[in-house]
Order: sequence, then structure tokens, then C-alpha cells
Amino acid sequence: MMLLNSDQVHSNNEDQSYDWSWYLQGARNLFSLPAFILLSAFVGFGGLAREAGLPLAHLIFLVPTIWALPSHLILLAGIVSGASLLAIAPAVALAAIRMMPMTMALIPEIRAPHTKRWHLLLVSNLVAITAWVHTLQKAKDIPRRGRLPYFVGFASTMAIATTVAAALVHQLAPSLPPAIMACLYFLTPIYFATSIWNTARAKAEHIALGVGFVLGPIATWYMPQANILIAGLLAGIVAYALHRILAPKIGTE
Amino acid sequence: MFYNSFEVWWWPFLFILIAGVVPTSVWRWAGVFLVGNLDETSEWLVFIRCIATGLVAAVIAQFVFNPTGTLAELPLWLRLGAAFGGFGVFLVTGRKVIVGVVVAEVLLLTGFWLT
Repeated sequence: MMLLNSDQVHSNNEDQSYDWSWYLQGARNLFSLPAFILLSAFVGFGGLAREAGLPLAHLIFLVPTIWALPSHLILLAGIVSGASLLAIAPAVALAAIRMMPMTMALIPEIRAPHTKRWHLLLVSNLVAITAWVHTLQKAKDIPRRGRLPYFVGFASTMAIATTVAAALVHQLAPSLPPAIMACLYFLTPIYFATSIWNTARAKAEHIALGVGFVLGPIATWYMPQANILIAGLLAGIVAYALHRILAPKIGTE
Repeated sequence: MFYNSFEVWWWPFLFILIAGVVPTSVWRWAGVFLVGNLDETSEWLVFIRCIATGLVAAVIAQFVFNPTGTLAELPLWLRLGAAFGGFGVFLVTGRKVIVGVVVAEVLLLTGFWLT
């Protein structure tokens, strides 16, 4: 008790702690559509890693620590092709820039009044598309003190489950039929597109989704190294500009 | 320096850390520092969400236009047709994610067996 600082002594315990019962609510999403789709994607990744000859221990290490499928795919492709560290790291970094605005959009939704920066630094390592979309959608129905635990519950459970799934496929599964592999991969883009459409708060985000999809392949043609960055930034800026120009006339919802 | 440059057991782990983990997470940490005290109702957040959505859309496009593995062996028209078909049905039938996913997969499989 002597160790408590004055802030803690003078404030009510209610405001100074998270409600960790929401961790389990988040973890329960292991049995949900987004979890099924993410697990399927990592079944596919486990198969890909095996074909590439990546040792099991390295697979188990890189899935939860990187925790972003596009980064996983780029790193694996780099390792397979024998690329150097100096070629792979910038490619991964370019494709991962989305993590910054994603984290910035999530934090105001999930932080509680007592949340410290180091809590957010730890939790941010779990930011990836699936748990991000899902938490943005659910946050308004969760009390403030339960939101961060909910996100951590869902994301950490998925990180463990996908690592197990990828490792099992790496060790046990016979080569999956090509039709199944194709279907497993295809789940991811269609799930991302539909769930993000539903989570959008403003028309501007729908525009960003459409413009980003169209600009993606165009940017790949002109600037294969920075395609995701260029297409994504342009799409976001165009969508926001339209939002500012059109919002007063047609409304934002 | 390469993945198999050194014969020691820990080198590939360090390689993964430097080539994959840090370049990904550094953006998450940057997001934590840049967001400051921005609250949910800030106009800035609309802009940030637009950029995030645009970047994710470009990742989706990558999955459809330049996929890896078996999907890459299917013709582009089939991948595009299945994606737009699934998304279109999703839009007109009350925006249930599961509907979009199932329709897209059925279209892809049908095309897979017909080609």
C-alpha cells in the first residue's frame, strides 16, 4: 500500500482498471465468421511455408510476431527467392504502412481514461485487419473499460489459433488440392472488402475502398515496389476530398 | 546479409525480426505516438480512416490481381468475376458478409472446374 502513488490513492478504482471480463468476450470470437476466414488464410499460409521449405520453428516464430498476412507473404517470398535483408525489409515496410493509420483509427475507440501510452504500444502489436475491423464495429456496444481487453482477447486468441493452424498444416496435412488452396486464399480479400464496407462510418470510406481497389493494379503496373502505398494514399486523399466537397450537399452518412 | 548467411541457429530468427517484425510493427508504434489525444469525433479521424481504408483496399486489390500460390494460376477474369459477383450480391441482399463470401467462393469454384 505504501507503494501506491498519490494518483491511485485519490482516484476511484473503477476508473483506474480495465474490465478484463471483456477479454473472454473477445476470445469467444474464435468461433465466428471472421475467425474462420482468418484461420483458413493461415491454413493456406502454412501450406505455402511448407512448399517453400521454411522450418517449423521459424514459421511458429514469424506468424504471431509479425502478425500481418501481407508482411508474412512478402517475407516468405523474399526468403524463397534468396533476397537480401536490405531488399526484404523495405518491401515489408512499404506494404505495412497501413498499420499506422489503422492504429490511429483504433486507439480513440478502445482507450480508457487511465490508459497509458505503454499499454497502447504493447497492444498495437496486435493490430491487423481482421481484429481491427471487428473491434471498430463492436466498440460502441462495449463499455470503455472493456474495449481494450476485448480487442486484446480477440486478437491474441487469433494469433495463437492461427499459429497452431499454420503449424499443423505445415506438419500434418498432405498437399491440399489446388481448388481448396485457391478457395482458402480467396476468402481473405472478399471478407476484407465486405466487412470494411459494413464498418465504414462515412461515405468517404466507401469511396476510398472503391478507388483503392481500382488504383491498386494501376500502381502495380507503374510502380511495383510501392504499389500499395501509392494506390492507398491516393485513394484515401481522393475520398476525403470528395467527402469535404460533397458532404455539405449530400450528407456524410 | 541473407536468410541462410550464418550457420548458427539464432540467425534466421534475427533475420525474421529485422526483415519482417520491425518493418511491420514500427508503423504501429508510430501510430501510437502520432495519435496523441485525438478523440473519436475529430475531423482528423475521418481523414485517417480514409487513408487506412484506401491502403487496405490496395491490399485487397493485390490479393485479387497479383495473388500467390494456386490462385495465381486461375485467369484474372475469373478472379475479378468472382470478387465482383460476390460483392455485388452482398450489396443488393442486405449486406451480410457471409452472403458475399459464399457467392464469391461458389463462383470461383464453378469457374475452376469449368476452365
